[in-house]
Amino acid sequence: MIVDVLRHLPDWVWLVPGLPLLALSITGLRALLGWTSGDAAEPLTARLCSLAALGSLLFLLALDLLALLDGVPGHRLLAYWFSGSNWQGTFSYLMDALSLSLATLVALIGWLVMRFSANYLHREAGFHRFFIILSFFLAGIQLVLLAGNGLLAFVGWEMCGMSSFLLIGYAWQRPVATGNALFAFVTNRGGDAGFLLALGLAASWLGSFDWAVINQPGTLSLVNARLLVLGFVIAALAKSAQLPFTPWISRALEGPTPSSAIFYGAVMVHAGVYLLLRLSPLLAQVPDVMLGLVAVGLLTAIYAWLCGLVQTDVKSALIFATVFQVALMIMAIGLGWTTLAEVHLGLHAAWRSWQFLLAPSWLVLTRGRPAPAPAWLRQRQWLYTAALQRFWLDKLAVDLLVKPTQSFAQDARGLEENFIDRLLGDPGRGKPVHAERPLIMADGLPGRALASVSELLERLENRLLLRGRGGAAEQMLHRLGNYLRIVENLLEQPRYLMMAVMATFVVIL
Amino acid sequence: MGAAANDLPIRQRLQHWVEHLTHVLPAQAPIRDFVHHNTLHGFQYLPFPEALAAAHRLTGAATYWPEARFQAAYAAGRITRDDLLQAFTDSTLEQLDQPILRALTRRDVLLASLLLPAAQGERRLDWNQREGLLANDAVFARCSVLTASNDIPAETWQESALQRWLALCARVGNQWTLRSLLEHLSGEDVLERVRTILQRHMAAHLDLGVAAWRNPAQAQGFFSAWRASAGLDLAWELDELPGVHDEIACLPADPLDVLISELGQLIPDEDLWPGYLERLALELPGWSGMFLWRDRNPARGDGTPVNMLDYLAVRVLLERLLCADLIRRLTGAPLEFDELRGYFASNLAEFYVRDALQGAPLSEDLQHRATHLLASGEGILAVDDDWQLLAEEIWQQQAVAGKRQRAVALYELLRGLEFSEGDTASLTTDDAQTLLEIAASLDPLARGQLWLQAYERHYREELFGALSANHGRHPPPASVSAQVILCMDDREEGTRRHLEEIAPTIVTYGAAGFFGVAMYWQGLDDAQRTALCPVVVRPEHLVRESARDAALGEQHAQRRENRLRWRERLYQGTRNSIWAAPALTALAAPGALAALLANTLAPVWIGDAVRRWRGQYERPVATRLQLTAEANAAPASAAVPRDGFDDQEQVDRVEAFLRSIGLTQDFAPLVLFLGHGSGSRNNPHLSAYDCGACSGRHGGPNGRVFAAMANRPEVRAGLLARGLEIPASCWFIAAEHNTCDDSVEWYDLDLVPPEFESALDTLVGQLAEACRAHAAERCRRLASAPPGVSPWQGFEHVRGRANDISQARPELGHATNAAAFIGRRAMSRGLFLDRRVFLVSYDPLADLSGQIIESVLLSVGPVGAGIALEYYFSTVDNEHFGCGSKITHNITGLFGVMEGADSDLRTGLPWQMVEIHEPMRLLVVVEQTTALLTEILSRQPALQELINNAWIILAAKDPLTATIEQYCPRRGWLPWSGSSVLPQVARSRDWFAGSSEPLAPAMLLGAA
Repeated sequence: MIVDVLRHLPDWVWLVPGLPLLALSITGLRALLGWTSGDAAEPLTARLCSLAALGSLLFLLALDLLALLDGVPGHRLLAYWFSGSNWQGTFSYLMDALSLSLATLVALIGWLVMRFSANYLHREAGFHRFFIILSFFLAGIQLVLLAGNGLLAFVGWEMCGMSSFLLIGYAWQRPVATGNALFAFVTNRGGDAGFLLALGLAASWLGSFDWAVINQPGTLSLVNARLLVLGFVIAALAKSAQLPFTPWISRALEGPTPSSAIFYGAVMVHAGVYLLLRLSPLLAQVPDVMLGLVAVGLLTAIYAWLCGLVQTDVKSALIFATVFQVALMIMAIGLGWTTLAEVHLGLHAAWRSWQFLLAPSWLVLTRGRPAPAPAWLRQRQWLYTAALQRFWLDKLAVDLLVKPTQSFAQDARGLEENFIDRLLGDPGRGKPVHAERPLIMADGLPGRALASVSELLERLENRLLLRGRGGAAEQMLHRLGNYLRIVENLLEQPRYLMMAVMATFVVIL
Repeated sequence: MGAAANDLPIRQRLQHWVEHLTHVLPAQAPIRDFVHHNTLHGFQYLPFPEALAAAHRLTGAATYWPEARFQAAYAAGRITRDDLLQAFTDSTLEQLDQPILRALTRRDVLLASLLLPAAQGERRLDWNQREGLLANDAVFARCSVLTASNDIPAETWQESALQRWLALCARVGNQWTLRSLLEHLSGEDVLERVRTILQRHMAAHLDLGVAAWRNPAQAQGFFSAWRASAGLDLAWELDELPGVHDEIACLPADPLDVLISELGQLIPDEDLWPGYLERLALELPGWSGMFLWRDRNPARGDGTPVNMLDYLAVRVLLERLLCADLIRRLTGAPLEFDELRGYFASNLAEFYVRDALQGAPLSEDLQHRATHLLASGEGILAVDDDWQLLAEEIWQQQAVAGKRQRAVALYELLRGLEFSEGDTASLTTDDAQTLLEIAASLDPLARGQLWLQAYERHYREELFGALSANHGRHPPPASVSAQVILCMDDREEGTRRHLEEIAPTIVTYGAAGFFGVAMYWQGLDDAQRTALCPVVVRPEHLVRESARDAALGEQHAQRRENRLRWRERLYQGTRNSIWAAPALTALAAPGALAALLANTLAPVWIGDAVRRWRGQYERPVATRLQLTAEANAAPASAAVPRDGFDDQEQVDRVEAFLRSIGLTQDFAPLVLFLGHGSGSRNNPHLSAYDCGACSGRHGGPNGRVFAAMANRPEVRAGLLARGLEIPASCWFIAAEHNTCDDSVEWYDLDLVPPEFESALDTLVGQLAEACRAHAAERCRRLASAPPGVSPWQGFEHVRGRANDISQARPELGHATNAAAFIGRRAMSRGLFLDRRVFLVSYDPLADLSGQIIESVLLSVGPVGAGIALEYYFSTVDNEHFGCGSKITHNITGLFGVMEGADSDLRTGLPWQMVEIHEPMRLLVVVEQTTALLTEILSRQPALQELINNAWIILAAKDPLTATIEQYCPRRGWLPWSGSSVLPQVARSRDWFAGSSEPLAPAMLLGAA
């Protein structure tokens, strides 16, 4: 009887990400209408968002019950999104033991953090903003966990990245916070590129984004499978802050304590691990990539352990401890111990959310100094310096990723200002085209063209007058020379060289 | 500071300069020992307004509430026109009654300018003008005409730029560092490049227990540790500072040599060095302050040598290296400071544009062009002509803007003065000029001071009115059922009031919460002793708590140790142990999830349950105090504190304290000493809520020790010999009041003789009821409490808060504290004072010589002023003096909090503690004659500093009549004559019900 009712549930699984989205839309609408000022507006926002999170949790619990009584529902195709020539995007969900157990845990933690935040953020200027972003995140992470295909998971993946960026920059008045938000955002784009690449390959080689199809053994050649899985692995490593992407997470602690807890302590940092678990059948086909995972995991574990030893603030100490254990999970996956990794993931998420939320209690919870570093390590000055500087990855990442991106933006702006704007012209900025006729003013190409035509006609009338040295022609040539020099200068910059190389790669692929 | 010591050798002078830094840097101890103190303690030698101005100049912090807040208070009737006029009269402004124009006096013009909304008005006008709404406004047109003529620029932009540049250069060494100058020029902060790693080095050096791995060179001091690491750091190369490695390698070993030689390279003029070091230290005030505190308190650290000069040497070295690099990039040549001065003096156009970009409000268009020019400054497009052209345009634009600004200012002022169109038309240019000059004669600081005085006066009038109306209303009750002595804490005003309303036969007293017993205390579960007395006192005695049954105590200690060891293993092991981390995580995870769930859904239940389980596991043990010293013990001293007090010392303390609060006869059957502390969860600023008179700890043990002393027959006999008779029908008892959840913990109930038991039962019940009523009163100011709660609901609510891990405001602490009354309770009994007043008991009639009041003032004055002023400054500029919002706080090194993982160390009070505070100076009303007070004031320099410099306001209420006089440092005692009509209600509840705002005093008729 109960089972009959429950059997309808899998068709409504979209409610799990849908409810938080609904809550955030209502809250967002209230904010837009200006109904969110003062103490009185807070409870509604907080209750609505927690209710949505609770709704997701209860729904998942019901699904779990169904899975226990009647077996897991498995893959469900709910709707078509769009379709291309030989592939299609769908709203399909995969409800198996892996996704249901983790989704339930995440929903529980999400709901608890929502409840926590209601008091914690009382009277903060960003109260409603925080709840909107947190709901957005919950929807995103549930999409990642429950999606039946890569494309839908990618949407969730991006929602997580976006909300993470927004919450690191929660205290946007502080330059450090916004700088770190940007850093995390840019670094994570590296992972997204991997995800996109893998999706693109899946579309062209398999004609489907479904996990089931991607995971099916024997459909892909080894080389193709390796390339496909590498894309996903890069995405997973970036999201789970494994080497070389680790620096972003240690700079992500600028947000309020509950957001640090759910994003970097408990939930989002495990998204990469989940992705790899989801793809474990595909991974099993490419042992060399698994070996690579073991290596990356090992290196990250060593890195995080060393850095964790020298940390002097509680949140940083905890984040390196988190990365350490996530690295162990990656290693376990590399060794093929997926069940262990899955269990570890769940337990670790639960413990860290508690520990992060209690970070302000550290003075009360601990008695004094932790056990000192091992004796062989204690006197190594170079290693100490490296650990304190986090092996300079931070700076390297800034130099290699953030700065070039900023320069791109600057160049693009320069291009617009120096060429495009001048070409199009600004209203009200017209300059006399001709010194003797100050009333005719023009700016930009169209304006000047028009002015020139009229002038040309006039000139025809007055016959052409030749101009000597120092006239307009030479000035123009001079200016052209200047521009060419700028372009040449730009091309000499390494970033454009890199871009050229990348472009070549893209063409080859 | 250095002038007198100029001929000393440089090393000694450096020590003097470091000594001076203790006056300007935050003096906050590690956060476990948070004690309230005047944030501007280093400026206390100056009169209040001057000190605030000096602090503002030094740190750039706002030292008064924003004018908008004062104006809101004006609009809400919390400041009246009368208050403002009185503030003018009390100020040092002159010629206030001088007629300016027609019937207008200078006072009228100033008042009108004070009431003008600052800045906002200009923006609104700006908008109006853009929208064309002002085009037809005849008054505005007239204003433009009136202000147009007298603004022909007297100089060219080159002259003004040169002057400005030289002025900026002169700031280096007293208001600025070279870094600030370069930041002003280029918009680039060179400190930003190394700040993160520098902070990590400092945190690692000062760490008190987070890091497991310390710098191997740490034992040689900060400079050596930093040098050892910086020499190996690859970041210099990554930052394109390749020469730095060699420079660090070649540094002398002695940080002092480094400091002196680097300072010489940075700033050749030695006179500027002390100022320069001060500025440098103030750039990271939190970190510098903590470094200096550890330097000054070596015993309170962990044995790591901490020397302020080490830190300064590193800062100066980095400053020189990084500034040299920026100068090179800015000018293309490695210039010294003097050369830099010459460089921009000859490139004035470039300077002018850079300066305008940083300071002046430029139009978007010009701003854009200037930024662009700066960005391409090192490229190939920037030529001198571009700078010149832009400078010219900026000059033009600013001239126009200045003109409009004056017109706007005049327009607003005339509106404030209610000038009609006709009045305006007859104004002359000179009139306009005069009006504007007068209005501008008040700088923002002077305006702030006037507003503050008016604001304080408004509340003061209410209080004086209440005191005067309450005079003689309360003769002492005929029979007293109990005497309750509480801390003077403003929060306890509510407890006392409710207790008296519930039990009219109870008499309450207030005193500094250590009850005259300065001691070290080591409770049964404490690993170390802690000082329970005001911070300035060094105790000479140690009192231990021990188990009554030694075997049970042993078992308790063992089990407790087990529990703590496991907790330690769990929290530390899951973060930096390789093998145990995953195992412990797996082990603890289900419990953690369950705990999180329980804490979210039922915080009170789980809090109680955990306490119960813990108690059951550890076995509760009855304890005793080791109070009395052994007969042959060595004499007590601060250096070697002795275990216990001897009989003589006990008699001294009991007698002195009872005499100071005026409790020398008519002892009730029960005398309760009620200390206080605050218990909340997940709160790094825990000790900021505790008892300030006990160094930010719980004051219960002091009460317990006092009661135990006073109950000893030997002590009573000693007291009798001194004429203080405590009858056998009187028993002393102690308890601790938790100000967060309003619960009470009673001590030594098993020692109470049976004949007192029924009286005790009654008292316990009455106190619990009073606490519940008090909880309900507190709820009115808590936004998340339901409105109009009953005492039981209120009690449940505050219990929930105390147990809630997500609560950033477990209680509101001393917020809204505003005054202190020193006198008999009859003075204030039956008044509703809204938990805003410190209440100190003192019997003026038993103190004819003034000895008691002198010592009370000396101890209460600084404590009260410290609390009030810390709240004041954290409120007026939470960014500078406070520590910002709690929600991004991150505990660092177990000694402080940062915002996020990379910021300055934040000192002062968090915003959540002060958001409802009303910043004003403490008004101290003493029930004593003015003659006696004048006498005391004249012989106590500490009080002179506080009172004559107006850090607190002193007033006297005559012991026998209702006369009140206020002390003015300039004019002496001024009799008060105001209205003493007061709203009257039956009980507190009738007055506060339904209101969530601060309430004026009221008279409670029901309370007898």
